[in-house]
Amino acid sequence: MSASIWLQKAGKQAKGLLWGRRVQKAKMIVLGRTLSDGLLAKLAIYALLSIVAYLYLQPLLYMVSTMLKDMSDLLDPTVKWIPRAVTWENLSKAFKGLQYPVALRNTALIALSCSLAQVLVCAMTGYALARLALPFKGLITALVILTFLIPPQVIIIPLYVIFSKLGLLNTLFVFLVPALFGQGLKGALFILIFRQFFRAQPASLEEAAKLDGASSFRLFFRIMLPLAQSACLVVFLFSFIWYWNMYYEPSMFLANGFTPLSIRLDNLEDVLNPSLLGNTHFITNPVTEGTKMAAAFLIILPPLILFMVLQRWFVAGIERTGIVE
Amino acid sequence: MSRPAPYRRKAMEHHAKRYGIGMLFMLPWMIGFSAFVAVPVGWSMFMSLHKVAVVPGGFKYDWIGLQNYRDAFLKDNVFPIELITYFQQMLLMVPVIVIFALLISLLLNQKFPGRFVYRALFFLPVIFATGQVLSELFSQGAGDIPFLDQYNLEPLVRQYVGGELAKTVMEVLGRIVLILWYSGVQILIFIAGFQTVSPSIYEAVRIDGASPWDSFWKITLPASMPFVSLNMLYTIIDLFTFPLNPVLKHIRDNMFKVDTGYGYASALAWIYFAFIFALIAIVTGLFSRSMSKRRGRA
Repeated sequence: MSASIWLQKAGKQAKGLLWGRRVQKAKMIVLGRTLSDGLLAKLAIYALLSIVAYLYLQPLLYMVSTMLKDMSDLLDPTVKWIPRAVTWENLSKAFKGLQYPVALRNTALIALSCSLAQVLVCAMTGYALARLALPFKGLITALVILTFLIPPQVIIIPLYVIFSKLGLLNTLFVFLVPALFGQGLKGALFILIFRQFFRAQPASLEEAAKLDGASSFRLFFRIMLPLAQSACLVVFLFSFIWYWNMYYEPSMFLANGFTPLSIRLDNLEDVLNPSLLGNTHFITNPVTEGTKMAAAFLIILPPLILFMVLQRWFVAGIERTGIVE
Repeated sequence: MSRPAPYRRKAMEHHAKRYGIGMLFMLPWMIGFSAFVAVPVGWSMFMSLHKVAVVPGGFKYDWIGLQNYRDAFLKDNVFPIELITYFQQMLLMVPVIVIFALLISLLLNQKFPGRFVYRALFFLPVIFATGQVLSELFSQGAGDIPFLDQYNLEPLVRQYVGGELAKTVMEVLGRIVLILWYSGVQILIFIAGFQTVSPSIYEAVRIDGASPWDSFWKITLPASMPFVSLNMLYTIIDLFTFPLNPVLKHIRDNMFKVDTGYGYASALAWIYFAFIFALIAIVTGLFSRSMSKRRGRA
């Protein structure tokens, strides 16, 4: 009698234990061992990120939706996101208004050549600052940082005069020459990135190459530069994007003749509405809004594609460059 | 102490050899620095102390000392106000951007399938968050958050913040999304920064019974403090050239005015630079002090 009661009790306890285990297992799946690897936490992360991403990308969606609207949809305030009829007219108008093929060639030429120059020169300078013997190294490093801090507005007038004396205005070289001499767009930042990268490399590599009789140049171009692939990619992409988007400098140096896309976008309103010359800035004109958005879309399309193709290497590259140490 | 001549020559030769290669590597930068930075900086300072007039065949300089700088604060009734307004906005924008970047990068640092898609999404604005496209979007009024109007937040802000500051807050809130677009690089820096904390520390703390909440405050945040300061500095510098910056517009306008001219515009630019530089110095000072204090405690 007492044995059966005992058995019953034991069975209940075992069941309880089993149940407890099951609850625990379910809890593990839902809540996870730490806060971050449970199902619930993951769902929360997805939800949060999706909401923020939606808000974050809303202007982009706005751009695309406005681009595809026709005249009546643009003027109708009840049509917010989805146009009643999709029209490609805005795109073709923007294509013509920007003189897209020519401007695209100009922009691509500037961005490509200057970025390549910057990768090479900034790598050299960064390497010298990280590894080679230099007099007044601390002072030079401080000067590099200082060039990063000086706003372009401070020195734009003297630069304009210098460039016009050198006869570089309205040509590609107005950007290529400074880039070749390490003073390209945000060049100081890239120098610091390379410096950081080369400092993190083991010194034994160089010593070994030196012992084998490699000259410093050979060492740099054959060993150090290939080693810095990920840093090169990061610098190239950033430089490319920043050159692609820059507006202030070209508005001074490339005002006519060799104009890139960003300047053409600025002039687009005048091209579309010759009667409204001047004073058209910051007046939103619903009629040309669609064309302007189409033009903006055409401008960001090439770097967007480039980024889509390279993004995996890019993010990994940034993590590996040790930019942040 | 003088050594015999041959030794000295040898030492010099040795130095030349040692420094030669380094100098050769630095040469392009040095030429560029003197031609495209040092000369323009000196020139611009020189201009700011003169009244500059454009005459056929060049400039005419009239020495007026610090008059331009004095005028900027005493005569100009736009510049000081715009400078202060923009600084108020900036003091609000910088923490907003950095905190947003920190939160998003914390989320993106978790392990979940498809996170690289999200990483790409949040990095996307870096591609076009500069220049003309952005100011085009600004002027179209894209990028305000819908609940600002829906819940009529303006009186609330006005009540709690009050006065002039409310206007600043509303202005920043009104374009908050586009301001957040400036956090792409910062998010990347934070994510890369989190990788420098070794996972074994988290493991150890968990075994000791710390909750994720604790480990965030005790480990993740202190470890990412250097990156917070780095991001602060980066954000401040980035906002220098914010496309709709009213100060820069004012400088540009004054450049082409006849009665003010390049000299006055240069003076304005230098004042602006001095303010930003002071801000950077303060941020750097604060962070380096708090960090050295922490090191002292540990």
